[in-house]
Amino acid sequence: MVEVIEESIGKDGRKVIKVAKEYLIAIMKDLKSQGYDHLSLITGIDRKDKLEVVYHLHNMKEDKYLVIKTETLDERVPSLTSLYSSANWDEREQYDLMGIVFEGHPNLKRLFLPESWVGHPLRKNYDLSKVQYINMDENGDDYATFDPGDGW
Amino acid sequence: MNILLRLALFFAGAGHYGSYFLAYIFETIFFMIFVAVVLIFTIYLFRKYMARLQLRYGPNRVGKFGSLQLIADALKLMGKESILPSGRDDFAFRVAPLIVFIGLFVGFAIIPYGSFYWIGSLTITHSNVSLLLIFGALAIMPIGEIVAGASSKNKYAVLGALRGVAKDISFEIPMMLSVIALVMMASARTANGLNLEDLTSVQFIPYGIPEVIGLFVFFIAMIARAAYSPFDLGESDSELVSGYSTEYSGMRFGMFYMGLFGSIFLGSMLVSVLYLGGYNGPFSSYAGFIYLLIKTLILVLVAFLVWLSIPRIRIDRFVNMGWKYLLPIAVINLIISGVLTLGLGI
Amino acid sequence: MLKEDSESANGNKWVELNMGPQHPSMHGVLRLRVKLDGEIVKECEPIIGYLHRNAEKLCELDYYCDATVYFDRMDYVGAMNMEVGYLEAAEKLLDIPPPERAQWIRLIMAELNRIAAHLVWTGAFGLDLGMLTPFFYCFAEREKIQRIFVDISGSRQQLNYMSIGGVYQDINDKIIYDIEQFIDQFPKKLEDINKTFIKNDIFISRNKGMGILEPEVALDYGVTGPMLRASGIDYDIRKKEPYLMYDKVNFDVPVSYKKDNLARYLVRIEEMRQSIKILKQAIKKIPDGPYFNPKAKKPLMIRLRGDGDVYARTESSKGEFGVYLVGDGGVKPYRVRVRSPTFKNLSVAPVLVKDQMIADLIAILGTFDLVFGEIDR
Repeated sequence: MVEVIEESIGKDGRKVIKVAKEYLIAIMKDLKSQGYDHLSLITGIDRKDKLEVVYHLHNMKEDKYLVIKTETLDERVPSLTSLYSSANWDEREQYDLMGIVFEGHPNLKRLFLPESWVGHPLRKNYDLSKVQYINMDENGDDYATFDPGDGW
Repeated sequence: MNILLRLALFFAGAGHYGSYFLAYIFETIFFMIFVAVVLIFTIYLFRKYMARLQLRYGPNRVGKFGSLQLIADALKLMGKESILPSGRDDFAFRVAPLIVFIGLFVGFAIIPYGSFYWIGSLTITHSNVSLLLIFGALAIMPIGEIVAGASSKNKYAVLGALRGVAKDISFEIPMMLSVIALVMMASARTANGLNLEDLTSVQFIPYGIPEVIGLFVFFIAMIARAAYSPFDLGESDSELVSGYSTEYSGMRFGMFYMGLFGSIFLGSMLVSVLYLGGYNGPFSSYAGFIYLLIKTLILVLVAFLVWLSIPRIRIDRFVNMGWKYLLPIAVINLIISGVLTLGLGI
Repeated sequence: MLKEDSESANGNKWVELNMGPQHPSMHGVLRLRVKLDGEIVKECEPIIGYLHRNAEKLCELDYYCDATVYFDRMDYVGAMNMEVGYLEAAEKLLDIPPPERAQWIRLIMAELNRIAAHLVWTGAFGLDLGMLTPFFYCFAEREKIQRIFVDISGSRQQLNYMSIGGVYQDINDKIIYDIEQFIDQFPKKLEDINKTFIKNDIFISRNKGMGILEPEVALDYGVTGPMLRASGIDYDIRKKEPYLMYDKVNFDVPVSYKKDNLARYLVRIEEMRQSIKILKQAIKKIPDGPYFNPKAKKPLMIRLRGDGDVYARTESSKGEFGVYLVGDGGVKPYRVRVRSPTFKNLSVAPVLVKDQMIADLIAILGTFDLVFGEIDR
């Protein structure tokens, strides 16, 4: 039994469904079987006390749009990679920039920033005054340090 | 009369051995100047022609019509640092561009240039097997490319060199087969079909007319030998960065660059000697050299047009083409030539 | 010589090759970690982020009206489409509808820019395959569009022409004349450019049947735009969810069912023809009237406040460009999220290039129309 917290119409006229994160996988499976074959976008929003994750789903054939919202207090959300391949990079990006840990993701690494980057830039409490420098190691991979190094 | 005798006569005051010694030296100097001018002119022509095709102006700042641009470029290349990658095979890395360049010079030295005005024949090498010599010289250049690729310690370079080998093997046999057909035809009229001068002189009509198929195969092989688009598989700048010459810079890179344009000119010259009658033409004892240059230039422009308009073929397709199409065509051409020579007596 | 080789399952040696970020045909700063068995690509892992500027964060730090400059720098060959995408979302959130004339001007500029972006792609695709010459033909045509953009906005690429509530300045008769001139001569030039590709046997053989993208895979990976339409799914946001004035013009959506490289090429060429068709109608339909909503005049601009969340989708030259804008009632956006079409399109690359030759890898990636300003944002 899928528990829908709230159903509403957004400002842009799209149907918004709020669900608890425990039921996320179940409702997504249900929606995919209804023809929502295109996971368009995954957005993480830092609401200061909690993290909100927004999924934009799209039914290409019938041209229906659906917005699923869920919230998490402990930065953890189940991963949708088993349902949609496009969730792979989107979740990596949100992990990278927002610090949302997607449980069950096969390859949850940072996407844009080097692996050793400290902090998640899109968080509201991210300290922009601390400069991190990116350098290259022996294998050609990047790493980030607070040390400016020799002029780079 | 030829250029060596003229020079020896000019230096007659230095005694028999002295005059010949000086004549050889000056002949070499003239020849090197000629090759340098040819290289610079070919590159200039290419850049202007390319610009015209591509709705651009091309070089037009240094000198009149940009004619000194190439000299400026050469000076710039010489002034640049030639970076040596770490982990290279040092000797091989340094010697590879030289091999390409030497192969180019040797190739130019063997071409029969024909006569020019009162100087007489400009041909330098008078050998009875100059046809074999020039294919030997042409085979030097890919060695340099392979050595360059293998010694750079760069994966793109290695892949480029491997592709170069695959490419060379697949078109050399059709090329040689089509030349054999030519020699067979020529040997009906001359005892020495392996001598390029004799091979040219017996062409009462350009051999490209009875040997259209051979000309076709040989011209493709020459494009592949010079390795420009569509057959620039060893370099293929969009896939392998720059292939075997990836790690080269400065004048060492310049040598590869000149080797490319030199081999376009040399290949076109060879095609015009073998198939278009070389220096033959009216008043060829005075203007033979000019005929050769005109024929070569036309072929060079055709080659540039091919270069600029056709995309790169894929390596496996090219190898397929070499073995599955060019080789049977060359064999058929050989049979046709035999029929023409023996049956019809052309 | 090749120390970092890895062993495959059956004991063959695989060469691990790092293509990029500095590579002539990586369209910017894509880095591919490729495992090669001879010339065959066995594994391919795209590594991105070399142009990452975190535009989403930058937008959060600025006023609503300032964000267009960051959007210009996303898809820098299609900046007008990026601006349209952002303003669709921002104007819905702030409730400032632009006047009709501004919408028509935006439509014209977006279509001109679509043509310019497709021309850049066509030329660069030729370069990927080793064709030097068509690149210049394409750029000569694009230059005419760039001239128009210079006239209207003052810059060539980072245009910043549109702003909340309308456009930066009105178009005059000279610009309309320039656009008409361009529309008149472009179709013939386009056919010429098309001929240099399509009449070439090597071009056909390099692309026909290469890089087949099945529609199910495309949807699974979130592929949109010309790539999706070349896989046989007729989906164009301009038709299905019209924004600006796309419901008032008549045009067709090109779809191909061949699913290969050649289909993607043909779809993009046909889109340029359709854009000309749209422009021909639009240039006649521009109404008179204000080009700017007075509610968003210059000094008031930074005091615009928005609340709630809005997701606006537009069809950029690369695919579905979506902007998800969340406001908290303040003068700055609370969260800006960009759905970048090429980001999604690129994620399907490892599937497409597996077991292809390295030369085909370049050709297949060439059809993706990658622009790194947008992928890395």
